[in-house]
Amino acid sequence: MKMLNFLTAGAVALGIAASAQAGGVLTAPEADWTGGQVTCRVLQFILEDEMGYKVKRITMPSGPGVREGIRAGDLDFACESWPSYDSTKEKYVKEWGGDGSVAKLGDVGIIGASSYYVPRYLVEGADAPAPDLKTIADLNRYVDLFKTLESGGKGRLLGCPAASWECEDTKRMEMLGINFIAAELGAETAHWAEMKAAFARKEPFVAYAWEPHWIHAALDLVALELPAFDKDKWPATGWAKDVPYNYGRPDLIKTDPEAAQMIINSSLSNNEQAAMILAIDVDGRDMDEVVREWMAANESVWRAWIPGSVN
Amino acid sequence: MRQKSRYREFCTYAGTDYSLFATIALSFAFSLLVWFLTHGQFAFPKAVSEQFHFAQSINNGEKWLQKNLREYTRAVSSVIGAILESIELFLWFKPWPIIVIAIGLPALAYGGLRLALLAVFGVMFWGMMDMWDPAMSTLALMGVSVVFSIFLGVIVGVMCSQNDLVEAFVKPILDTMQTMPAFVYLLPAIIFFGIGGPSATMAIIIYAMPPVVRLTNLGIRQVPETTIESAQSYGTTRMQMLTKVQLPQALPSIMLGVNQTIMMALGLAVLATFIGAGGLGEEVWKALRKLKVGWSLEGGLCIVFMAIIFDRLSLAMSKPASSGLLVDPSQMTFRLLPQKWVHWAPARMVEIGIGWVWDFVVRCSGFVVHIACAGVCWPLEKVNKTVGQSVRRWMRAHGILVFGLLLILAILAWDTWVAKIGYFPKSLQFTLRGPVDNAVDWLAVNPTFIGFTKGLRAFIYLYVLNPLDKFIVGLPWWYVLAVFFVVVWRSVGIGFAFVTVAMLLFTGLAGLWGITMYTLASTLASITICLLFGLPLGILSAQSKVVDSVLTPILDAMQTMPAFVYLIPVLMFFGGNPVTAVIATVIYAIPPMIRMTKLGLQQLPEEINEVSRMFGSTSLQTLLKVKLPMASPSIMLGVNQAVVMALAMQVITPLVAGLGLGKEVFHAMNTADTGRGLVAGIGIVLLAIVLDRLTQAWTRNQRYALGL
Repeated sequence: MKMLNFLTAGAVALGIAASAQAGGVLTAPEADWTGGQVTCRVLQFILEDEMGYKVKRITMPSGPGVREGIRAGDLDFACESWPSYDSTKEKYVKEWGGDGSVAKLGDVGIIGASSYYVPRYLVEGADAPAPDLKTIADLNRYVDLFKTLESGGKGRLLGCPAASWECEDTKRMEMLGINFIAAELGAETAHWAEMKAAFARKEPFVAYAWEPHWIHAALDLVALELPAFDKDKWPATGWAKDVPYNYGRPDLIKTDPEAAQMIINSSLSNNEQAAMILAIDVDGRDMDEVVREWMAANESVWRAWIPGSVN
Repeated sequence: MRQKSRYREFCTYAGTDYSLFATIALSFAFSLLVWFLTHGQFAFPKAVSEQFHFAQSINNGEKWLQKNLREYTRAVSSVIGAILESIELFLWFKPWPIIVIAIGLPALAYGGLRLALLAVFGVMFWGMMDMWDPAMSTLALMGVSVVFSIFLGVIVGVMCSQNDLVEAFVKPILDTMQTMPAFVYLLPAIIFFGIGGPSATMAIIIYAMPPVVRLTNLGIRQVPETTIESAQSYGTTRMQMLTKVQLPQALPSIMLGVNQTIMMALGLAVLATFIGAGGLGEEVWKALRKLKVGWSLEGGLCIVFMAIIFDRLSLAMSKPASSGLLVDPSQMTFRLLPQKWVHWAPARMVEIGIGWVWDFVVRCSGFVVHIACAGVCWPLEKVNKTVGQSVRRWMRAHGILVFGLLLILAILAWDTWVAKIGYFPKSLQFTLRGPVDNAVDWLAVNPTFIGFTKGLRAFIYLYVLNPLDKFIVGLPWWYVLAVFFVVVWRSVGIGFAFVTVAMLLFTGLAGLWGITMYTLASTLASITICLLFGLPLGILSAQSKVVDSVLTPILDAMQTMPAFVYLIPVLMFFGGNPVTAVIATVIYAIPPMIRMTKLGLQQLPEEINEVSRMFGSTSLQTLLKVKLPMASPSIMLGVNQAVVMALAMQVITPLVAGLGLGKEVFHAMNTADTGRGLVAGIGIVLLAIVLDRLTQAWTRNQRYALGL
């Protein structure tokens, strides 16, 4: 009897020790965009509910600040870096020739696709003003439609909002002989705001955007056809597919191997993420609720990410 | 001399000297000629600017500092972080009425019932918007940063006041601290002080400390010579002189500096989010990212109320004579309603009612304090008589404070032992999001409104921004240098003229000449629009009380509302283009323009109207020929403030497609290129300093010419 008591106490003590070892606080920045938030929320719930961690979320713009925070050890991991939109990857991430102060923690799973988009009311329907606008070359036939006060006789295309994204919109227009200027709004928020307002007024516009993104949930957009990506002809072509990745502290794999491995194993498909984005941004539902719903319905999927799980 | 007078004579028509206008017109015509002849051929030579690598060396310096300095800065930041966190936790978990009392009672003591009601409403507003927790975080961050700023600022200010050399050394540093865009040092702040509160505290101290330094220095230097001498005749030491004579005398001035520091600190509330400091700025930022205008307006209004409460409170504290508690009860003094209504019976009735309540509360609190005083002092006096008596005197003198402390202790006790007070009641909460979002969506598609915005945009682009841009950017660089040299020489002095040229050369050597000139052009465009709208509005509000009372709260809100809040609606109405950036800048910079115009006109003596009427001039003539010229120093001061604010806005406008140096800073921040950001930031600082000195000198010269 005494022996049994002793054993139980030992087992309890071991259990406590084990959970204390597994637990801890991980700090992660909250992404600026719904997709990134969804990805991080899924990881957070797994870490908190299944692996004994507490995740502290910090709101700050996703950019070099986050990388510096990771390098200094203030942040442990972050979700969804899109390589095309991050001009600092060459400085921090080893896979792009950086100093390795930020480690890649596996791909997110989604595949990003960029293009130029026009609103559907512009190209479809009985009184659509540009029914034959299908490819980027067709833009030249509708220069007058897209002309503005400041564009100096050319059409106006809303290019990549930030020059650091290296979209090369202006060069593409030149090389393909499109008589358009590429306006650069400076910030992503401004880009979406202008699109949203122009859409509400049913004005013509052609703008850069990518998928998966909440803007497609809010506005009905059609992608223009661009020449397929070709490294040698760039930027006279469309974009390469974008493979976003999760990232974090390089020594996370040593200090918290299971958490790091789970993040590396995790994978969300375009469809899965887009469905959640739609529910959050169009139906206006609570993000936690939507993510929990997905987790309840796909338990076998995410359980397989946890290292040492039996599935 | 002789020639000048002949020139003046030539320019005089019907008794008025038009020589200044003639000079401006002639030099403008000449500049146009130069522009036409050279037409953009003389851009700053690339071969020269390529030899300079400012940005590169700054980045190398940063790397070195990172290796050698970071341990120490991290130690500092962990101390600040611990302080911040404990305050934040206290504010979060203590019952909310405590905060209401802690802010409301000082407002009552120093500013009377009106300020107290405003303060209580403002504090409750945070809860009503369901932003109590973020508001507490911001409060903690602002509190800690302001206390540090005051502490450091007074020390530096005292040092400046004791030694002219120190003052001369510190002044340009203060100018730089105030005008250097915070975006430039946010990333280094993360590197050296980590993510979150401590970095934000550092950034706020850098930006908000200068006014305390300046006004401490000024206050001490303004202590009359006779006071100093008489103190010296009693044989005071230098330290005694400082602590017993100079600092107390300078206190009103220092308090004014504290007021400005608080306002500037709150101006950084949103930027704090860029380094993960959370708080109300986080709400604004999150809303902005999702284009939720109503949500960001709620966050913005919470910041506005915080700013207005602490602005009014610190102003009231700097002139404590107006305490409502010292009012003689035999005299009918209105506590809530405007004193002008004293002859209106219903108003008197209301005030009598308020008076009863007031007297009752004052008696009750007096009674409570009396009992507390007896309870504390009686045993103390038994032990040590002198200590007990001085405590009693202190408690009597600070009745309100003691009462407030007792009230807070009572609430804490109630919360701990009787019933948990908990979170701000849900029943008091309401939301502005729906109506505001609907209004913005409705306006964005309203054909009349959009017609108006498109017209305004076309006007600004075609007649203001584009011509200025083409003209200034197209001028040869050596010609611009020469013009700046002559203008600054004639209005400020030869020494600063050389400094100006050196500064402008720096931007050229750094490879930023064209961008700097564009920034100059768009700033001038913004100032032109500010004058175009600000002058009439200022005149109107000087003439009409109704206009004034409508405008004043709007201007208050415009000055304290974070620019991020109105960027999105402005963008949705005007579209993304450089004109939108100019419009956003005008919204930010126009309040001082309107205020100073109004102030300048109101300060003129009444007799001017009568005198000019006697000479048979119409009121329009009086306004144009007499009053506006006499108010011109004040208007010029408004221009001066508007210029500095417009340049501060440059780094925000890239969010709405603004171009120029601000965009350069913004991009540098997005690519972790501190050197590039710093060089562009220095460009903004240089423009700000040059334009500030120039407009200040014009104000001074105008005052001198008017014999003021």
